Amino acid sequence: MMHFRKIGLALAFSPRTQALMAEAARFKRMWNAELILIHVGEYGDNEKMLLEEFLSAVDLSQAKDVRVFWEKGKPSERILATCKNENIDLLIAGALNKENLVQYYLGTIARKILRKADCSLLMLTDPSITPNPFKNIVVNAEDSSFVEEAVRAACTIGLRDKAQWLHVVREIKLYGLTMSAADQHSEHEYENLRQSLVKDEIDNVEKILNSIPHEGLKVNIKMLAGKSGFELAKFAQRKHADLLVVGASPRRFSLFDRVFPHDLEYIFADMPCNLLVIHPPKSERIGKEAKRG
Amino acid sequence: MQLGIMLIMGRIFAEVARKFKQPAVIGEIIAGLLLGPTVLGMIQPEWFHALFPVPSGAGTVLSGMVQVAVVLLLFIAGLEVDLHIVWQQGRQAIATSLFGLVIPFLIGFVFPYLFPEFFGIADIHARLTFALFMGTAMAISALPVIVRILMDLNMFKSRMGLLVVASAMVDDVIGWMIFSVILGMIGKGSVIPVWYTALLTLLFAALMLTVGRGLLNRFLPWVNRKLAWPGGVLSLSLALCFFAAAFTEYIGIHAIFGAFIMGVALGDSEHFSERAKEIVHQFINNIFAPLFFVSIGLRVNFFTNFDLLLTVIIIFIAFTGKIFGAGLGTRLGGFSWKESLAAGFGLNARGAMEIILGLIALENGLINEKVFVSLVVMALVTSMTSGPLMRWSLNRK
Repeated sequence: MMHFRKIGLALAFSPRTQALMAEAARFKRMWNAELILIHVGEYGDNEKMLLEEFLSAVDLSQAKDVRVFWEKGKPSERILATCKNENIDLLIAGALNKENLVQYYLGTIARKILRKADCSLLMLTDPSITPNPFKNIVVNAEDSSFVEEAVRAACTIGLRDKAQWLHVVREIKLYGLTMSAADQHSEHEYENLRQSLVKDEIDNVEKILNSIPHEGLKVNIKMLAGKSGFELAKFAQRKHADLLVVGASPRRFSLFDRVFPHDLEYIFADMPCNLLVIHPPKSERIGKEAKRG
Repeated sequence: MQLGIMLIMGRIFAEVARKFKQPAVIGEIIAGLLLGPTVLGMIQPEWFHALFPVPSGAGTVLSGMVQVAVVLLLFIAGLEVDLHIVWQQGRQAIATSLFGLVIPFLIGFVFPYLFPEFFGIADIHARLTFALFMGTAMAISALPVIVRILMDLNMFKSRMGLLVVASAMVDDVIGWMIFSVILGMIGKGSVIPVWYTALLTLLFAALMLTVGRGLLNRFLPWVNRKLAWPGGVLSLSLALCFFAAAFTEYIGIHAIFGAFIMGVALGDSEHFSERAKEIVHQFINNIFAPLFFVSIGLRVNFFTNFDLLLTVIIIFIAFTGKIFGAGLGTRLGGFSWKESLAAGFGLNARGAMEIILGLIALENGLINEKVFVSLVVMALVTSMTSGPLMRWSLNRK
């Protein structure tokens, strides 16, 4: 069962901090989780006072399960180290939708966290002081290490937020190559092949969904062909999604993944909406592997 | 008239091949054998010469069409390469493809280098180049044939299927790079150092796959947005293919390499849709590919140039090198021996790529007709046996 017991929030005391705090508080209540606030950089009475104001605004100033970590050093490194030390399940941070070319290759703090985190991440592109539930959720159901966890998280959030739509998206791998290899088929066989490619993938999605409670959610299964991350981001944009859920990559990204983009890099480079990257803790992964084995 | 007859005969025999669940290329080559000096030229020489007169305008046009077909076939071979699938398969794909490339290359290199006369070397002074070519000819794989076999076995999307596909893609990229360098070594009268051609080839590939692809990613969205679909993207992609072919020819690398790398760069662009790929494939596979493969039979008399011993040895080297190399690489990648052998059989299919490689070598005076015929037969035998052998291997207890 996917559950966020400890939620972290990266604080920068920027104009969006109050909104981020409100979103984090909503998530904290949704999962009944402990909240850990992480600030990296100089701080003084002014910052402490501001933080108190932010916490009061979301009725958390007296909460016993809210802790603050004041860190010094490189922001992305310190935030990730705190997440690791404190076994944080979900880290929330603010992020800009798009990176320019230089930022893309060098990486902003938010993107560095995205590429290196060992926990799940919620990147909010447009946080609000009065947070709204997610109404239109898109989840990537392509074969990957954490696909089940991603769909499970999307279903859970969808049910708790009473989302109007959950779009479960999967890619038809090597669609062009498959169809071009079918050049000896008759028109009927060709069409059958096209349909069977779609049907096979719908069956795969249904297999995943069958093991996850989602009664009451309106589910739309959608097949895409092309570069999966790119098409997924385009689809989320087209559907005006407010949350895109994906499984994390089991390995850390390097510059190489930006030169020859990894599926997720397409999404990181130009986030279509808020992004939730699911990276289950090792204990849950080991449990799952043992169960499978 | 020539083109019409070639297309119709190619289609008829491709349909016959289809009935026997064999790739269209086999039927198309048989059509060429029937129309060419092997059958029609022997039975009715006057009909053959009337239909395909050598010193004529029609002959020049046909030759030009075949050259265009070669460039376009390499372009779609490039489009089929999905670098992302290769990265996804990671270390396993690299191990399988490197073993599947290096071992057949070495075996294919050593024997022709030691016994060049037996292998029908065209120019004894080009022994190294000849041996390098034979090594490359043994190392290359035919991706479309492999995909079709995996689809028939319902294994295309399996872990092993994707590994075989990714390995074939890596083999293709490296194989065509080596072949471009070899063609540079022939020199065609000019004195170009090998290191210079190798450097140019690497540089061109690296630039096209980074800067070139970046430019395509900026250019293609505009094309998709502003121009008619699929007309805009089709004509522009083919134009880019010819520009790249012309550019590589200009800088001293063969035109096919430019077309191939342009195919890889375009195919890897997220803005070049799968539907566009499908249309380009259909257009080239059903018009230019039959013309090219039928023309193979027109060029050489397969009967008089068939050397049984040479053909058997080339087939033996091809089977041994690829099955052992790719099989060992797959085994090292963590698969069972049974699966590894199946992967070796799968990657053993040479198909159309081998024939294109052979034809260019023949045109450049690197091999003679006998070697060419043996290579074509090897390509057909490996393509026809790949599927049944893979099935047999997987069904073994």
